[in-house]
Amino acid sequence: MKRERQAEGAPSSLSRRSFLKGAGGAAAGGVLAGELASAATTKAGSGPARTLEDKVTVALRLNGEPLELEVEPRTTLLSALRVSAGHTAAKPVCERGNCGACTVLMDDEPVYSCLTLAVRAAGKDVRTAGGLAEGEELSPVQQAMVDEDGMMCGFCTPGFVMSVTACLEKNPRATDAEVRAACSGNLCRCGTYPHVFSAALEAGRQMVAQDEGGGGRPGGGR
Amino acid sequence: MSRRLDEGAPSWGAREDHTVLHKDTPRVSAAGKVRGTAEYSMDKRPEGLLYGRLVCVQIPNAEVSVDLAPALAIDGVEAAVVLREGRTRYNGQAVAAVAARTPELADDGARAVQLDVTPHEWAVTHAQATAERAPQVDDERPNRGPRGRRGTHGDEEATEAALEGAEVVVETEYYVPVQHHASLEPHGVVADFRGGDEATVYASTQVVFGIPGSAARELGLKRRDVRCVTEHMGGGFGSKFSMDVAGRAACKLAKETGRPVYLFNDRVQEFQTAGNRSGSLQTLRAGAKADGTLCALHTVMDKLGGLGRGPGARQPYIYEAESSYTAEFAVHTHTDSSRAMRAPGHPQVSFAIESTLDQLAYGLGMDLVEIRKRNLASEVYHRQLDRVAREIGWDDHPHRTAPGRGDGWTAEGIGFGVATWGGGGRPGAVAEVRIDPGGGVVASIGVQDIGTGVRTLVAMIAAEELGLRAEDVLPRIGDTNLPRGVGSGGSVTTGSVSPVVKSAAWRARHAFAEHLAPILGCEAEAVVFRDGEVHGGEKKLSFGEACASLPPEGLAAQGEWIEELQASGVHGAQAARVRVDLMTGEVKVLKMVAVQDSGLVLNPLTWRSQVNGSMIQAIGQALYEERVMDPDLGLQLNANLGDYKIPGSLEIPELVSIIDEEDTRQAPIGVGEPPVIPGVGAIANAVHNACGARVTSLPLTPDKVLEALASLG
Repeated sequence: MKRERQAEGAPSSLSRRSFLKGAGGAAAGGVLAGELASAATTKAGSGPARTLEDKVTVALRLNGEPLELEVEPRTTLLSALRVSAGHTAAKPVCERGNCGACTVLMDDEPVYSCLTLAVRAAGKDVRTAGGLAEGEELSPVQQAMVDEDGMMCGFCTPGFVMSVTACLEKNPRATDAEVRAACSGNLCRCGTYPHVFSAALEAGRQMVAQDEGGGGRPGGGR
Repeated sequence: MSRRLDEGAPSWGAREDHTVLHKDTPRVSAAGKVRGTAEYSMDKRPEGLLYGRLVCVQIPNAEVSVDLAPALAIDGVEAAVVLREGRTRYNGQAVAAVAARTPELADDGARAVQLDVTPHEWAVTHAQATAERAPQVDDERPNRGPRGRRGTHGDEEATEAALEGAEVVVETEYYVPVQHHASLEPHGVVADFRGGDEATVYASTQVVFGIPGSAARELGLKRRDVRCVTEHMGGGFGSKFSMDVAGRAACKLAKETGRPVYLFNDRVQEFQTAGNRSGSLQTLRAGAKADGTLCALHTVMDKLGGLGRGPGARQPYIYEAESSYTAEFAVHTHTDSSRAMRAPGHPQVSFAIESTLDQLAYGLGMDLVEIRKRNLASEVYHRQLDRVAREIGWDDHPHRTAPGRGDGWTAEGIGFGVATWGGGGRPGAVAEVRIDPGGGVVASIGVQDIGTGVRTLVAMIAAEELGLRAEDVLPRIGDTNLPRGVGSGGSVTTGSVSPVVKSAAWRARHAFAEHLAPILGCEAEAVVFRDGEVHGGEKKLSFGEACASLPPEGLAAQGEWIEELQASGVHGAQAARVRVDLMTGEVKVLKMVAVQDSGLVLNPLTWRSQVNGSMIQAIGQALYEERVMDPDLGLQLNANLGDYKIPGSLEIPELVSIIDEEDTRQAPIGVGEPPVIPGVGAIANAVHNACGARVTSLPLTPDKVLEALASLG
């Protein structure tokens, strides 16, 4: 059945707005109000957002580039990136923080973008697997993942790349156990783990060597 | 390898001559995957895209009617369709779908659809289905009836007689719960239809050539006017051989709106409706002679395939039994049908027979490797068992003929498993290799790469033939506009694709040599392609220079099926070493070793990834994975990746994947399925070997291990 456009002002039995206001909207709104007032940049002239009804504009940096997104307050960062921005490096798999396929770095910390509202990313530096390479040159983590075959179907790969990157940017000398702990929020169903771990250790060695050699990108970080 | 023309027919050649094949080669899609730029079907964003969501009934057995009006009243919901009304027969069955401007609005719409549901009594567990006065699940068949036409195999009388005469007899009931594929990319499609007379469907599928027909029916188009594209695919493991209800719904919504529609299952739908490995309940009565010979095996097996009947594998699996009898039953429940899952049916029967063999060995005081050799005809298994035994440290292990007890806190044990599979190719695929005047080489075949690395094999095979590197060849796959590929099932992809790509590349090389012979001033037979150069007579050209001499349209050759370029039938043995915490019952796998033959291994790097991954999936099935159904609610209690646990980074042991290089067959065989089979039995056996706790119900959770320990007294 195709939607027949309602006449202007015609009542509807259940609208999204009344649903949100009625069912849990109050609780969510309570949490959101503070965030929206402080973090989200609202559309010019519309004043600060007070309810869940209005779209808000979120300004952030995605892989170093400024990005403005117009989203509903409830929109997750994952949805904002994939749908609003058309940036599909982070993958939607579980939508509840179980699998890590949507992992991005927000101010260098790995977060599940499926459990992070887009408004929380306002003013932040968001990095995805799409922002690690410099032109054709892959980051040390990416290159090692290629060389070691740290992937099969690859759907989990951008998430693993980000978790490993966050780990090694803090400590390129991370041990095998530390790498595994850093990846403990990421699931791979193909079972690529051993090659991901060996890739992470190899990338760490490359990053240390670059640091000590004084050349290249220090630690792969920014 | 340098290639001359006087070879007569394509062959894979000697392994020592290869320059590309049989060498570790990073997959050609790797850079895109690590950058997040590899486009999966879920990543496609055609202009004007709407987002769809399924509406599923959450009662296992019901009459349902659907009211779409509340959904359509929501601003931003563009269309809604009824998929099913009347009887529904499993939890999560889709009855409607909506399409909206954003995914969030689609969720609003799906929630707003009103379902009028009249529940009927259900049976979602084996116990419910086989109880007296159970509701009949299938109108045509009893809840528990013979599986297949006969339902029995072998000679029961002879088997009973042999059991009478056996030195040792063990009887055990084994339970294998339903397991899930849990592919990370959900089932679904982006149906790009804009109201014209053609469409492109981006599907997450294991069989791109199976999609256009189904999509065309929904869209009211001709099959030939629908194209399916699967550039990259986020896992299937046997669960993605159709467009599924998500795909059908997307096409209906696209037809309704004249706009492209994105519709993928959410994770709960994935668990409830989009793929499971059948469970089983097996009672084995096995008898062995004093020398370890399996003289009798009597099996009663219930297959738990939900609305389906489960796969065909049965006892005594790969072992030789002097007499055996099996009665097979299909037990139906109000749950979605099981699907093919990586080696369908094999892990279930392997777990039971491997467990039984160990019990017989302990009963006889016999070495666990020896009893296997005694009952396996093929010498290949014998050498593989010896190899995994050596790698896992069997010779120094203190408990080779009787289980250990541990030190009071923990106990370590070793277990073994052995498996087989086919993995040969089949005719039907077509490939093309094209050489451009600009120096480009394109190898095309429409087959999808579900993560096994077949895209890379296509490039490697063409490169080997033309004296190039894998990165010099552009492989084009995953598209029904390309020459026909095969479905990725039964581990047949490598065996089906490799011969036709090889044949196409061989013919392209021959045609190129004929073209170059007059330029080089030699006979075509004397033209050699090597290291990116073409040699002939006293001259040589770079490959690029040689290509520049081609006419503007370049050169193309199609490959044909050549049976001799593939082989079939593989063997594999695995060993597991585990540590059991005797106080808590926790099982930790410390190390697993796999020795596997699969003919000529075209890319050892991706081969090892697959074999490692198989062992990891076996760890999941052995220790963690189980669909948990609540009989009273009729609901799956763990329909998400938080409560349905698959192995994570903290559960990965040391894994050693070894190519059985004594297999000298000069032709490739697929390896996707076989190595997932033996690990489950090996892990269960290792737990028993460590501490004497025989857990006969998967998964081997701490409570079951403690209970088994307690029963030892």
